[in-house]
Amino acid sequence: MQSRQHSAESEDHGIDLAPMLDFVLNLLIFFIITTSFVKDPGVSISRAQAATAEHRANGNLLVAIRENNEIWIDRKRVDIRELRAILERLHIERPDDAAVIVADKASRAGVVAQVMDEVQMVGIKDVSIAAAPGEGG
Amino acid sequence: MRLKRHGSTEHGESSHGIDLAPMLDFVLNLLIFFIITAVFVKEFGLQVSRPGGQVQTSAAAGEGSTAIRILPGGEVFIDERIVDVRAVSANIERIHAVTPSKGVLIIADQESATGVLIQVVDQIHLGGVYDITFATGR
Repeated sequence: MQSRQHSAESEDHGIDLAPMLDFVLNLLIFFIITTSFVKDPGVSISRAQAATAEHRANGNLLVAIRENNEIWIDRKRVDIRELRAILERLHIERPDDAAVIVADKASRAGVVAQVMDEVQMVGIKDVSIAAAPGEGG
Repeated sequence: MRLKRHGSTEHGESSHGIDLAPMLDFVLNLLIFFIITAVFVKEFGLQVSRPGGQVQTSAAAGEGSTAIRILPGGEVFIDERIVDVRAVSANIERIHAVTPSKGVLIIADQESATGVLIQVVDQIHLGGVYDITFATGR
């Protein structure tokens, strides 16, 4: 009797970890599900404002075009001729990602058209041009 | 002595369940990793199609679609008239009312600024047309 009481006391010493573990596992699952592996271009772009800009749900593949017409993808500056190989690799890695072309206000429309062509030639069907939601006009 | 042995069997009894502590450490580490790497993209964009692309729509780039030209300086031409960028939506609305189910073809100069292009696309959307094809020319 005495020894049983002693053992019960020693078991009660620590905190019961099970509810905490449940909670932490739920948090973990939430973050795993919501995590999206965005291909950040790594440069800051001043977007044009557009009132009708829509939220691109899985626009994870970002191609940036700077004001000096440099193309940046995945934190690297690339030439228009090597863009297709990179896009192909990224498209194979994550086929469901939509592409968003983040073009600077002052960049040339010709470069945007070229990049859009490359993206579509790789087989990415969902392409859009990024804009900041706002007043527009 | 006997009491001590008894105590040791009691100790064995108390470790019936799995020890959760190392698993909890591991799970917490995973959790921290995912919290740190979580990036919530909030990218807003406008969808336009390209001629010859797979998402090419029938009306746009076809015959009878409204053509809007953007010159290198940022001037916008509709029906051979210079139109202010802010007046594009009104013009599109008018044309759309006369000939509905027609797409809009934007022919932007290679040298024109993307900002003007986005403004024009926005204005066309405001005018009620979402079937937009974007081509470049000189």
